[in-house]
Order: sequence, then structure tokens, then C-alpha cells
Amino acid sequence: MDATASAALVLAVMVAAYIAARVLKISTELSLLAAALAGALAGGAGLPARHIVEGAFTYFDIVLIFVSATLFMNLLKESGGAAFVVRAILRRFHRRKSPLFVLLAVLLLIPGALTGAGSVTVLIMGGMVATVLSYMDIPRPRVAAIIFLIAGLSAAAPPVSLWAMLTAAGVNMPYVGFFLPLLVPCVVLSLMTIFILGRKARPVDLEKALEELPQAPPKMTWLRVAAPFLAFFLLVIAGRAFPFSFPILGLPLMFMAAALAAFLLSPVKIAFLRTSRETVHQLLPLIGTLTCAGILVQIMALTGVRGLIAITTVTLPVTVVFLTLFLILPVSEAVLMWGAAPVLGVPLVLLFNTIGLDPVVALAGMSVIWPLGDAIPPTAIIGRLTTATVGVKEPYGQFLKHGLVPAALIAAAGTLMVVFSKKLSFLTVF
Amino acid sequence: MSPMPTAMTMRKIVIAALGAALGAAAGLSFYQSRHLPEPVVPGPGVTAVKKLSDYFGPLEGTANDVNVYVLEGAEPGGAFLVLCGTHPEEPAGRLAGWIFAENASVSKGRLFVILTANRSASTVTRLGGAYPPDYTIVTPWGGRTFRMGDRWSSPLDQWPDPEVYVHYPSRQELAYIDIRNLNRTFPGRPGGTLTEKTGHAILELIRKERVDVVIDLHEAELQYPVISTIVAHEKGADLATLTSMMLSSEGGFAMGVENSPRALRGLSHREIGDNSDAVSLLLEAPQPFLDATRGRTDRALLLTGRDEFVVRAGKQGLLFEKIDDAGWPIDVRVGRHTSTILQILEIWSEDNPGRAVVAGGVPRYDEVIKSGTGAYLKDVKTADPAKIVYE
Repeated sequence: MDATASAALVLAVMVAAYIAARVLKISTELSLLAAALAGALAGGAGLPARHIVEGAFTYFDIVLIFVSATLFMNLLKESGGAAFVVRAILRRFHRRKSPLFVLLAVLLLIPGALTGAGSVTVLIMGGMVATVLSYMDIPRPRVAAIIFLIAGLSAAAPPVSLWAMLTAAGVNMPYVGFFLPLLVPCVVLSLMTIFILGRKARPVDLEKALEELPQAPPKMTWLRVAAPFLAFFLLVIAGRAFPFSFPILGLPLMFMAAALAAFLLSPVKIAFLRTSRETVHQLLPLIGTLTCAGILVQIMALTGVRGLIAITTVTLPVTVVFLTLFLILPVSEAVLMWGAAPVLGVPLVLLFNTIGLDPVVALAGMSVIWPLGDAIPPTAIIGRLTTATVGVKEPYGQFLKHGLVPAALIAAAGTLMVVFSKKLSFLTVF
Repeated sequence: MSPMPTAMTMRKIVIAALGAALGAAAGLSFYQSRHLPEPVVPGPGVTAVKKLSDYFGPLEGTANDVNVYVLEGAEPGGAFLVLCGTHPEEPAGRLAGWIFAENASVSKGRLFVILTANRSASTVTRLGGAYPPDYTIVTPWGGRTFRMGDRWSSPLDQWPDPEVYVHYPSRQELAYIDIRNLNRTFPGRPGGTLTEKTGHAILELIRKERVDVVIDLHEAELQYPVISTIVAHEKGADLATLTSMMLSSEGGFAMGVENSPRALRGLSHREIGDNSDAVSLLLEAPQPFLDATRGRTDRALLLTGRDEFVVRAGKQGLLFEKIDDAGWPIDVRVGRHTSTILQILEIWSEDNPGRAVVAGGVPRYDEVIKSGTGAYLKDVKTADPAKIVYE
């Protein structure tokens, strides 16, 4: 059997195992594991303990970021800080939709732009922004769609865009010239998203909203709310401003420092251990999915399935590649997460470079499309994180439906950036 | 107690036991590959085996306090440093270095060889990459097994990563993970991370030993535009061009030349040239195992370089080096490196008689292909145990 047939067979077994597990009502994460184990068996690797455990650690750093950032946000919520901020924003902007939308979009863009992770945007800002938008009579699934899409764009936004960075590193291209090609579409598309999905928003009935919102503790102040965020951003900025004298803390520890500040500054007593337990419990399905997605990626690489997907994609005719970027990139993200950058990003950028396109703008365009995949099963990590954070009770499909129009715009904008990258190369000034 | 909690508890115990068994089996494999001994039987030319910490003390006791093999000739001359294992997942470089350490003799000048520049990276395999833990080179007396390694230092030795890596001293922002990539951390930083300290230590060696030429050995995926080439700092442009011409006309294989880009920071060919008196060159040999479109990831692919999917990518014009069903066997890749180093030595020595380095005993491209890499690895069992050194 040749390599193509062999890998295709393993892929078929993996898909069948995943579907069978889902039919048997097994959770997403365990279905991913079942697909991986079936793939390993079909690929003749038996039960490869080393690969299973190694794959399980692929996204370990992201798991730590999720846990520490969510703990921070949960402590802030317990302290009454979130309620305090939401009440204050509503009082100030309840009659002025446009400035409020711009402010919320900017607030959502900052954390992901600085860290490269849309999850951080969702975890830090998602809950608060969701509360504000909900009081404007925007349905919860639509609110989740706004937060998810802008969180994705924030991850692609400069200065840190991991898809662009990892792909650039893979083709020996300096991560230079990306600032405007990433910033312009991310800002424009974020504003379009919030204005399109929030077009039916009504001015907030302030009295009703304030009555329904949880009361903030009397001793809560702006300083108490802002200090933990300041602590976090100061640590991020210090790492950038003094990279050679400031110790490398890593995002998880930075979030833990912010969490500690929120705990210490809380005007009310917080049951720290209970909150920690609840945080881990809340995140367990996501942690499981990340762990099992890592195992799946490892087994796909081991058995040649990953290569089959990559080679099939990059050997499509160029026009077909252009027309299917909106599908290829999000699907690769859904399966491989950031692993999509070296697997698909590298060959695609080389392909675009070969046919005379501007690799920087083309890669920036691809980076804008990639995060859409974070809402697509099997992993759907950020999508699920967003619906959980926003408290969407409706089926997951509702959330996807609401995001469809702006997602199509984002995909179209990204594709056009790739196609017309040569003409947009003036953006690559710094 | 109700039956539900008991069933749930039993389920948890069984799952925990399965997880522990899986963890133990994997843990054993990780431990064994991290501690796999890699013997070196120093050849007749090795006059001393130093440590990298001899040049930069703070590296002592770390995973990257690696061996520096010194081959000093009877006649004074110049000094060369052959740097292998900057990226240990590119084995042809390390194997070429092994051939030098176990076979070379130097009559003039000094030759320094580092076999595992980033030893930490040699003790780990890529998360999600499904690399084999090791590979074996067949020899006339059996075989020699080497650690597979990765591109980045092990997180066990250097962790956590920052959210973005700011290169020293240029302040260029690079992907966060590249703070553990030795070939993005040159010229290094004395107070930096393990990988940055390693880069600094190598620069210290170059400065203290007055090294004239540094050759950093690599392999690249065929989708990577910089392949089958010498990447040269501007100080070494003539040397690289002459070498390329000689190899392409008489060496049996085509070798290109690329200028080291000034905008791309942290790489050996740029930073060593900029931060020392040495000429810095980097050699790239083709390695299909690294291609993103590769099929099954296993030892066979690593050593034969044969892959159906990569061949398909080549037929579509997506590659920067040719490939057919013959692949890129390890002997071909190792032979390219040994021949290129010997050619550089010859041209340098002719042009700089006062700083010449004359070496022999090392097979060239056609000899490595004919006899196999294993033919030039010494039998550890018959070697004097007192002389054996471990990487």
C-alpha cells in the first residue's frame, strides 16, 4: 500500500472512531482521544505511550494560561469588581451606543493583541463586555459571537500574532513589516463586527439594569479594580521594555500575580480555595479538549495523516487555494490550533511567494482568517470558552449562526488581502 | 453508601491507574532518551577535550556544558570551529562532526569541534511532532544509537517562555518559542537564559581561541528556500563562493551561496560575524523529515529521506531542492557536510597561509556514500575505555 492510501485509511478510521464515539454520546475530548487511539492502531503503532503522553503536553502552556487567567477573572468577579465596572460603564454610556461600541471593541482587542491569545481576551474582558451588551437587549448567542470574533481578531492583531510569527519563523522571514497589515484589518473588522451584530441594540434602561445587576461592595473603588489589571499589564510591559533585565515570568505567572492582587485588594472576603476548585472544574472540558487535541495531532503526524492533509491542500490549483482559504485555514485551526501555522502556513506562504505575491501581507491576511477556526468542532476551544464565559444557554449552533455574516466578511477580507497582497505591500512599512 | 458513588469511584480508580501506567511507560521512555549515552571515541587528532564552561564559567553544571574537541596540529596556524547540533533534530551535522572527532588529524593550526552545541535540545523531542526518540547508524561492528533531539532547548532546562521573545541586543521581536532556539539567540547574553548563555559561551570560545572561521552545520526542509547552500556573512562571501564553485564543479554535488540577511537576527551566520573577528558560515543540507508535508514520521524517513508526499510537493514546484524516489539518504547529507568543510579548510588555508588549518583523515562526499557513515564511527567496545567521552 502506498503512503497516500495508507494515510487515507488511517484518516478514515480516525473519522469513523470520532463519529462512533459522538454517536455513543461520548464527550468531545474523549471522542478525540478515541480517534487518536484508533488512528494509532490502524497506523500500526499499537498503543504508543510515549506519543500519547508527549502529544498530551503539546498545549500544556495554553492550559496553564487558561487556568491562571480564569482564576484571576473569577476572583475579580467574587470581589465585586466586575459588577462595579459594568455598573460604571452603563451609567456613563447607556445613551451613546457608538462610543460605547468603539470602547468595548478596543477593550476586547488589547489583551489578545498583547498576548497573541484570543482566550486571554475572552477570559479577561469577555465576561464584563458580555454583561454590558446583554443589557442592550442583544441576545446572548449574538453577544458571544461578538466577543468570539473580536477575540480572534485580537489574537491576530499586532504586536503578537502567533500564526504570523510561527509561519514567518518557518520560512526564515523576519517578523518585520507585519504591524499595519495586521492592525488595519483587525481594527476595521472588529468595529464592523460589533456594529453589525449590535445594530439592533437598544439604549440601556439604566434603572432596570442597575436594579438587576449585582450590587458592587460599598468599599469597591476604581483603584481596587484597576490595580490587578495594572499589575498584569505592568508585568507584560516590563518584559517588553526591559527584556534583558526583567526576569521571564511567563503569562501564567503574570495572571497569578494579577489574581493575587485581586484577592488581596478585594473589599469582601473571598474563599480562595473554593474559587480555585471551581475554576478548575469550570475549565476541565477545555483542558481535556486541548490535551486530547494534542494527542490527536501527534498521532496524525506519526501516521502520516497530517502530511496527507497538508499535501492535499497545498497541491490544489492556486485559484482553488484562494477560493478555499476561508475553509482550509479555519479547519486546520480547528484541528491543529497554532500547529496549523507550521503545517499549512509554511507551505502556503512559500506557494504564494513563488507566484509573486507579497508574503508579509498574504500571511497577515491568512492570520486574520485562522482564528475563525477556534469556533469549529472538534476542538472549538475559544468558541466553547466564549459561550461558557457569556453564559449562553442556547445550542452551540445558535452562536455559530449569529457570527456567520461578520465571519464571512473576515474571511473575505483575509482572502482579498492574500490575492491583492502585492498591491497592499505599501502597508509593510514597520 | 449508594451504588452510584461506588461505581464512580471505581471508574476514577481504573482511569487513574490506566493514566499512571501510561505515564510510567512514557516517563521511562523520556528518561531513557534524555539520558541515552552517546559515546565518542576521540580520534588520533584530538589533543584535548575541553568543556564549554572553560570559556564561560556560569555554564558549568548545566545541560549545555558540552564537550569541545580540540585537534591541534604540530605546526602553528589558524583556528576553525565546526559547530554541530545547534539544532540536534538535524542529525547530518552531528554525524559529520562525529566523523571529524573520531577520524580527523590536524597537521597545522587548530580545529575545534562541538558535537552538540545545544545539548539540552538533544534530550527532548518535539511536542506534537511524533519524532522517534533516537536513531541508529549501522556500522560494520553493529550500530551506534543517537538521541533524536529537537530544534529548541528542553523546557525541563529552560522554562517558561516569554509571551514574545526580544532578541539581544537587536531588540527584534521573534516568536516566543525561539528564545529556546540557539540559532536565534546568538550572540547570546551572559546573564540570559540557558540558550542565550550557550550562545555567549560559544562567542567567548571564538574570541578567546582567536577562531578564524566558524562553520555551523544544519539541515533544512525542502520547502525552505535556504537549502543546499552556504549562508555566508559578508566577511566570508568570497570563501563561500569559491567553495561553492569548487564543490559544484569537482565535489560531486551542487552547492549554492546565500548572503546572510542583515535584518534576520540571532542566527550564527549573522551574529558570529558581527560580534567577533571570525568569518561565519552556515551549511544547509536537505532533510525531507523536516518538511511540513512529510508522511509517516519515523526513523526510516529520518535516515533514508524518502517520502512520497514530499516528492508530490516537488512535482508541484513547491520545493527549493529536487527530490525523487531515492530520497536524501543520511550518507549523502553527511557527505555533503564533510566535503564542504574540507573544501572550506583548503581554500582558506591557500588564501591565508599564516592562518592555515590543515586536516586529513576525513572522508569526502563520495567516500561517505560508498562506505556509509557508520564505517567512520569507531567501535566503542574495542576502544580504550579511559579515552571514551560522552556527549
